[in-house]
Amino acid sequence: MIETVNLTKIYNQGKKYQVEAVTDANITAESGAITVLVGPSGCGKTTLMSMIGQLLTPTKGEVLIDEEDITSYSDGWKAIFRRQNFGFVFQHINLLPNLNALENVLTPLLCHDVDPEKYKDYALNLLDHLGLSERAYFKVEQLSGGQQQRVAVARALVTEPRIIVADEPLTFVDEASAKTITDFFEQLKDEGKTVLISTHAANLAKMADKTYVINGGKIVDSY
Amino acid sequence: MKRFRNLLNYALNCVTRYKLRTLVILIALGVAASAFSSVAFLSDGLVKEGALSLKYAPDLTVQGISSGRQSLISTKYINNIAMAPGVLWISQRIWGYGNIGNMLVAVVGIDLNNTITTNQTRSLLGNSVVDQAPAYPLESGQFLDAQSSSSIVIGKGVAQLLGASVGTVLSIVTESNNIKQYNVVGIFNSESSIYSADLILMNLESARQFFSVPEDKVTDLMVYVSPVDASTKASLVNVVARQIAETPNCRVLTKDVLLKAQERTYGDRSGFFSIVWYVVLIAVAIVAFNQTIVVGHESKFEVGLLKALGFSTSDIIQVRLFESLVLGTLAGAVGLTVGIIYDSVLGAPILKDFLLGWANLYPGFPVPVFISLQTVLFTFAVTIVPLLFATVVPSWLNATVDPDIAMRGARA
Repeated sequence: MIETVNLTKIYNQGKKYQVEAVTDANITAESGAITVLVGPSGCGKTTLMSMIGQLLTPTKGEVLIDEEDITSYSDGWKAIFRRQNFGFVFQHINLLPNLNALENVLTPLLCHDVDPEKYKDYALNLLDHLGLSERAYFKVEQLSGGQQQRVAVARALVTEPRIIVADEPLTFVDEASAKTITDFFEQLKDEGKTVLISTHAANLAKMADKTYVINGGKIVDSY
Repeated sequence: MKRFRNLLNYALNCVTRYKLRTLVILIALGVAASAFSSVAFLSDGLVKEGALSLKYAPDLTVQGISSGRQSLISTKYINNIAMAPGVLWISQRIWGYGNIGNMLVAVVGIDLNNTITTNQTRSLLGNSVVDQAPAYPLESGQFLDAQSSSSIVIGKGVAQLLGASVGTVLSIVTESNNIKQYNVVGIFNSESSIYSADLILMNLESARQFFSVPEDKVTDLMVYVSPVDASTKASLVNVVARQIAETPNCRVLTKDVLLKAQERTYGDRSGFFSIVWYVVLIAVAIVAFNQTIVVGHESKFEVGLLKALGFSTSDIIQVRLFESLVLGTLAGAVGLTVGIIYDSVLGAPILKDFLLGWANLYPGFPVPVFISLQTVLFTFAVTIVPLLFATVVPSWLNATVDPDIAMRGARA
């Protein structure tokens, strides 16, 4: 379970262009459930998601994972925690150029003490589930936006994380790809994983077990 | 271990992925490494060959001084010098330059009959020492015939240029503009060719006639000191040198001084090139750094992404470290190969003219190249270290910021 306590992020604190992106956000994301953050563009969804995933250091507040405050971890421990527990799907997809789809999926395994070759079948299986078995050896540049996003989903899952953080995962995705991805998130939920999604896509919001509405950096509603 | 191998594989992958950066760095560092190594191999070779030549040099060379310049030395000093304790034997020498056609050659006459031995030498080693002239290395023929005033031994460069061999008769213009004929009885080998290439060796009296040197004068005196153990000999040579230096109108050159002069000559010339090379290296470091900045956005994004995927700061630094080591080693190897080919196969065009200076005016000879482990290691060090700073430091700076900031910054 993920719990945030008064999570706050102020960019350029004390400077002329100070921006309070997220203010005192308190949310809970249960295991085996899909938790969705909804809100307009620039409302602080990505900042909040990044802080939960330890990709961004909060100005104030705590992130508790199974009641353990991970914001107090050192940079090295945060990296280890991320590698063992989190799978990220980014709004901007963020695949490595010049690598093929399969190589991108296997990339998170490189910092684990495993032989990525042994995970090749598993990675190909993930790509197959996401409808990309034919594109596994295509370079990123040769894939459409939707296909790239599906590769990113496979990459997030290759380490079998217990928490999936997906920031606007359907932004650059066509309808068919969106369906594949949402079905996949349902499946992950059924497997008992914690799925945290930020979106303004109705189809994703519909499948939420818990929804938080964020506006102006503040959680304004939940249902 | 598997993790280490994964990071190494990823680093190798980066080398091939950033093709433009790899190419620019390889060319820039490779050029710098080849420039440095070719100069270093050549100057090391020249110094080494010079040192090898001094193997046959006397412990002390005594020359006359007149008005602060070198002049002929009177043979009357020989007895005084022989009195100095530790002096083993003394040999006279007359030398200068002569012309064969358009070629300038060094003509040296050595004393084959009247080597002066000291009383202490006789008591120490017996008369047999008189016959112990240094064994000059010959490629063909024999050493000088003491009885014949027309015998000469010539350097390999002279032999090659004139197409001369043992038995050839050479006509040489003397200082008094007469032409004298000499019979080639031997040819020096290529060892220490920097000194022997342009050399014509004859006996003392022939050289005296050749240069019209008065009977009681010679160009210099070669003094050999008792062959005691090396450490004692060095101090003994200095003691003898100080004693001889008290002789009026004389100066004494030790073998060490000649070696240092030689190192200065070639070392300083290569030093000039080294300065040029340092400038090139700084330029290369700037190019490498610039390349890192050029691909900075890409690299920054990659660092942020890798950290988001679970890589730690030390993982990122390891990847960049491997990458720089691979690139630097590759550039060093390319540079060394080009340097060796330039020196050994092509004969170091341009560079040879500069490093050899006046010596290059004389008959040509293959440039001496000495490939030392020290130079090889230093070449690798200077291709790897600047690259490490130019790539690892920016990556480390990127890796210490939050992954989200790094990725957003790269997209901005």
